[in-house]
Amino acid sequence: MTIVNFLIYFLIMVGIYALLAMSLNLQVGYAGLINFGQVVFFCIGAYTSSLLATKTGLPLLFCFLLAMIVSGFFGYVMSIPTKSLKSDYWAIATLAAAEVFRLVALNEGWLTGGPFGVMSIPQPLRFLFSMENYPLFYLFLVTLCVIIVFFALALITDSPFGRDLKAIREEEDLCLSLGKNTRKLKLEAMVVGGMVGGLAGALFAHYVTFISPENFWPIETFLLWAMIIVGGRGNHAGAILGAALIQIFNVSTRFIGEYVSLGSDSMASLRMVIIGFLIIIFVSYRPEGIIKEKKKVYDPRNIR
Amino acid sequence: MLKVKDLQKKFGNLRALDGVSIEVEADSVVGLIGPNGSGKSTLFNVVSGFYEKDGGEVYFKGERIDGLTPDAIAKKGLCRTFQIAKAPERLTVLENMLLAAEGQVAENPISALFARRRIARVERKNLEKAMDLLEILKLTELMNEYAGDLSGGQKKLLSLGRVFMRNPDMILLDEPTAGVNPTLTTQLIKVIRELQKKEHKSVLIIEHSMKVISSICDKVFVLNYGQVIAEGTPEEIQKNDKVLEAYLGGV
Amino acid sequence: MEIVQIIINSLIRASELSLLALGLTMVFDILKFANFAHTDYALLGAFLAYSFSQALGLPLIVSVMIAAGLTGLFGIGIDKVLYKRLRTIGVQPVSLMIVSMGVEIALRNILRLIWSSETKTYPIAVVKPLEILGARITMLQLEIITVGFLSMVAFHILLHKTTFGKALRAISDNRALASACAIDSEKMIRWMWFIASAYGVIGGTMIAMEHVLYPRLGFNILIPVFCAAILGGIGNPYGAVLGALILAFAENVVLALDLKWLLNLGGLFHFESIQINTGYKPAVSFLILILVLLFKPTGLLRKE
Ligand SMILES: Nc1ncnc2c1ncn2[C@@H]1O[C@H](COP(=O)(O)OP(=O)(O)O)[C@@H](O)[C@H]1O
Ligand SMILES: [Mg+2]
Repeated sequence: MTIVNFLIYFLIMVGIYALLAMSLNLQVGYAGLINFGQVVFFCIGAYTSSLLATKTGLPLLFCFLLAMIVSGFFGYVMSIPTKSLKSDYWAIATLAAAEVFRLVALNEGWLTGGPFGVMSIPQPLRFLFSMENYPLFYLFLVTLCVIIVFFALALITDSPFGRDLKAIREEEDLCLSLGKNTRKLKLEAMVVGGMVGGLAGALFAHYVTFISPENFWPIETFLLWAMIIVGGRGNHAGAILGAALIQIFNVSTRFIGEYVSLGSDSMASLRMVIIGFLIIIFVSYRPEGIIKEKKKVYDPRNIR
Repeated sequence: MLKVKDLQKKFGNLRALDGVSIEVEADSVVGLIGPNGSGKSTLFNVVSGFYEKDGGEVYFKGERIDGLTPDAIAKKGLCRTFQIAKAPERLTVLENMLLAAEGQVAENPISALFARRRIARVERKNLEKAMDLLEILKLTELMNEYAGDLSGGQKKLLSLGRVFMRNPDMILLDEPTAGVNPTLTTQLIKVIRELQKKEHKSVLIIEHSMKVISSICDKVFVLNYGQVIAEGTPEEIQKNDKVLEAYLGGV
Repeated sequence: MEIVQIIINSLIRASELSLLALGLTMVFDILKFANFAHTDYALLGAFLAYSFSQALGLPLIVSVMIAAGLTGLFGIGIDKVLYKRLRTIGVQPVSLMIVSMGVEIALRNILRLIWSSETKTYPIAVVKPLEILGARITMLQLEIITVGFLSMVAFHILLHKTTFGKALRAISDNRALASACAIDSEKMIRWMWFIASAYGVIGGTMIAMEHVLYPRLGFNILIPVFCAAILGGIGNPYGAVLGALILAFAENVVLALDLKWLLNLGGLFHFESIQINTGYKPAVSFLILILVLLFKPTGLLRKE
């Protein structure tokens, strides 16, 4: 692989993880929903889109949209118990729910191909490009998605809805006392989060053209957590920055691994040890992350 | 306006509310007093839907509201503050006010994306109202500070401000002046009374200072061990032996 | 499978799970956060025990005791370095939970770094299993049930007959009141970490002896342990035992069930035999956990 090809691959992955991190950030950073099963959206999006494409031959645009819808629907399902559950319990439940999905993907071979996964997933507009140029096109596609999602989320959170989410994050009882239907607000945050996560899953599946349950271990969720914790919660730029930094870290350690005499297994462990330490250190000593949540300041002269 | 009938609430073996019946007429300010731990806040929590009752009925504007969720009760126009003032840490004072504003554009992601103009218009109107209220509450200087950085007294003022933004038909205030300095307290009382005169709101207020009570309340209920032991005008209450005994003998 | 065999297998599993659930439920109750690294502490001990018996040639039982003691100290150490500071500056318990997630990732990979991902087996002489009413049980399994039972009795005595137990229960009921009664909460919390971690090591080592020892084992048993603790009711050690028993039976019964009668109802189908795919074994605890959280998040037994 040439450097350029590798760079394109790397940027595409940063984009996909940026989408996932922005989705997680909407749930965690804004609504205060501790989702430890974020990978489930990635998984559902990837499987929905690729199964529709390979089994029904539906146009890929619809596969992508359906992936977002199904994944958003699962966001809705996950939001149901937020009403009655303390956040710790809900966090544990989300972790379990994500594992149930991975097990279904692993065991229902008739549908998902089991451990062998889904192969030969078609790629959007593949026929328009040559083999060499296609990754560049895909990078363009992913970047476009990241930009659209970034601005859409920025609009969504810079609104009374976003303000409500932040208030729920901090004082849910107060919101209730002001007549806010907090269950509905959390539900909406989860659905939007689910849709963005599903989009990332579909983009991933149609890029790598082969997915299997191996792609959806819980560790993906914790990488995403590291991204938003390092980058900064409660702002979308932080999520993108975190995605980029953690991916750079991942890649650079892989390169370093080629020069030091550590086995690949040890190198992978070392990498995760550092990710774990990053989470610990940031939450303990810089909980706001690199990019701090922006305070919304009004100029009194502009009000009247 | 608000009618509470034979309300019961137990915490384990403790009868925090033991058959409380009170009534608040429309367009009046009613006080609720009683020694610490007599069940005043618990009454608020049950009436506003935060705690489940163990018996009894609550009517608001003639409608039965017990069993409804807190947000549904608030939507009906019954709004409460908390004894320990709540203030979302990382929302500014002004954002806190806007958060509470009545008649906001549908608060959901779809409107957030597609109704920007309408949102901007309504926000602007609410901003002006919020600035007026902050002026009265002497919080204008702090408008862009995080609510988490305010003192306890300032948070109390802010909760009052939020309630005024919300503009409900009836307000339940849980010790609104505790921790607020005396000059401001006088100001607050004036604001509450004016609001009530002008907009004909009903107010039920928990308060320890007899001075405050006599200056704004038309009627007072006295609670002790979860039971109403006296009711009447502030003058009558001050002369009531049972009340004196509850305050002095209970210690 | 024979009923007697199911009972024996369930008792073994329950002994292991309840030793782990005890510590989890204590920490959750006293410090108000779900410790995601709990089962990894146990695995640290299991690996230490392995090394002591392999490298130093100590008898297994001695190795486990030493390892449990060391891991208990490790639990105290982590608390001292991480959680205590966060407790004193008064962060939300949710942040402690996220930090524990970081500890989980780091610790699991440190284990992998030191002992590699290869599976290991303890040096246990293989002897012919005994036969009880047609069911097979090995000497080791008998020992596991016995150790589990004895540990539980010891825990009961600890909780009810020692000052530590009384103080701990006082703290659990009301932290402020306890400190008013001159109970040194921090000291009690240190003891609690020691006992929680050490008990976990016994449970974790027993699981590893039954099967094999590998670094991911800790994460794999995390959800079942959470499930047992929550099912029983957080803060109630007897609940943890009850939860472990129910979960263990559910795991073994569900997979042994033949569902053909269900599907052949009405004579529409004629399946020879329908059994749940054993690949779903882990899903049993996930699903029970989710159901408990949905319908009875307070668990079966109230806190005493
Ligand atoms: N959530 C609760 N759980 C258990 N006991 C409570 C709870 N809330 C209040 N109590 C008890 O109920 C009684 C009444 O409390 P409260 O209504 O706060 O009194 P007041 O507001 O009149 O000072 C007190 O004895 C208090 O300890
Ligand atoms: Mg009170």
